[in-house]
Amino acid sequence: MMISGGGGKSSWSSSTSSWVPTTSVSASGKRIQREMVELNNDPPPDCSAGPKGDNLYHWIATIIGTPGTPYQGGIFFLDIKFPSDYPFKPPQVVFKTRIYHCNVDPDGLVSMGILKDDWSPALTITKVLLAVRSIFTNPDHYNAVVPGIAHLYSGDRAKHDGIAAEWTVRFAK
Amino acid sequence: MVSDSISAVPIPSAANTKNPGKKKRTNRSAKLKQYKIDARREQWLSQGVVKSKGCKDGVDDDVVHAPPPSVNHGKHSLEPLNTRREGEEDDGLIHHDSDSESPTNCPAGVLCGNDSGTNFTGSSSGGSSSSSSSSSSGGCCSGNITEEEGEEEEEEGEDDDDGCLDDWEAMADALAADDKHENPCSDSPPVVLPREGSNLESPNSKPESSRLVPWGSGSSRAWRADDAFRPQSLPNLSKQHSMPNPDRRCVGGVPWARVSTPSSCPICCEDLDLTDTSFLPCFCGFRLCLFCHKRILEEDGRCPGCRKPYECEPVETEASVHGGSLTLRLARSCSMIERS
Repeated sequence: MMISGGGGKSSWSSSTSSWVPTTSVSASGKRIQREMVELNNDPPPDCSAGPKGDNLYHWIATIIGTPGTPYQGGIFFLDIKFPSDYPFKPPQVVFKTRIYHCNVDPDGLVSMGILKDDWSPALTITKVLLAVRSIFTNPDHYNAVVPGIAHLYSGDRAKHDGIAAEWTVRFAK
Repeated sequence: MVSDSISAVPIPSAANTKNPGKKKRTNRSAKLKQYKIDARREQWLSQGVVKSKGCKDGVDDDVVHAPPPSVNHGKHSLEPLNTRREGEEDDGLIHHDSDSESPTNCPAGVLCGNDSGTNFTGSSSGGSSSSSSSSSSGGCCSGNITEEEGEEEEEEGEDDDDGCLDDWEAMADALAADDKHENPCSDSPPVVLPREGSNLESPNSKPESSRLVPWGSGSSRAWRADDAFRPQSLPNLSKQHSMPNPDRRCVGGVPWARVSTPSSCPICCEDLDLTDTSFLPCFCGFRLCLFCHKRILEEDGRCPGCRKPYECEPVETEASVHGGSLTLRLARSCSMIERS
């Protein structure tokens, strides 16, 4: 074992720079493919996702608005873009359907901890979708990207919900 | 397997009696394994086939399903306790066969079910090892031919039994108790009547039900479906036999594969080799391959499982010590790599 370890060490140190990028690309492809299979086998509730076309790194997803929330009944489309070094860098999740939410910026970009600094390579798209779905129920207004909405959410919840429901009816149905 | 059985069956049924060659051909094409076996059978048939079944064959000739009964008798008459015992063991395993054909046999009742189960054991034992063999026997339409093949299959069953038993030993052991009960039934003569009746009744149904589902799948699951199919649910015995198998597989096999350490790196999905599987970089127990570990150390250096920063090397070494000497070495080598 020591010998093999030594061999691995030398090969690593010598070829690290050239070999990491290629490996990461193929590894990300394999990882994404597996996630796709797992997602199809065991889709999270009210969610669906899959490659938009031939590009494995560009997915489209849908999340159905959670009942009991102002987003109820809406169908929200999301774009998911995987970086080439995917498991090690978070995917980018963007709402293509307009949504009134304090954690979704005007361009639809979802702002969540796990999609930024709190990302972990062990997270999967399934978990990301569940996390996005969870902010329908519990907006994280302490880490909002749209302060106005967050303020309204904490100050006048009824009005916030009214607007959100109106947006849902207008854009997501 | 399914396709094989299907292809084999329809041809003989259409040609009914006199296309043994075709049957065998199809079977052979389907199953390379049985080439040799078939050859043996033919030789054997030339010797003993004619003896075994005159009257019964005549009855069965018209019916597609003659083989099972013929097989049974042939076994019982021709072959001593040895085959039966093997067959018995197989019965527990192979009850699917009995189940599948049970619908035809049902009228006879419990006894019939038992008998059918035992009867098929010969073929089923062959079938368990290779579904094709069983299908071939089932496929034989004509009495003469079927009988011959049935006998052949009997031989196959015997031959195959040795091989089959290895796989099924565990199952057989568990089911042994039930099998004992069945034995007397199988030996009893009354069995013949129900079979013939069943054969007459369902030439078509039998091939469909028995072959499409059970033979091809070879797994116990298919049999549950068959159980549902049976109008007059066969005796408890057959169900008990058939049911336990799937359960055991699910209970014993599935978790087995899943439990322990992951077989592939959760990050890059590459298979974990020995070094990787014995590499435990974090106390949280999250395992990953050395490549991904190194990659993460180069970047944010936090464990994907718990998001805590990977401890420096000494800790890793300690953690690995718990695992054993092998992992300890690995940890050292790993630490060397990381230092470099």
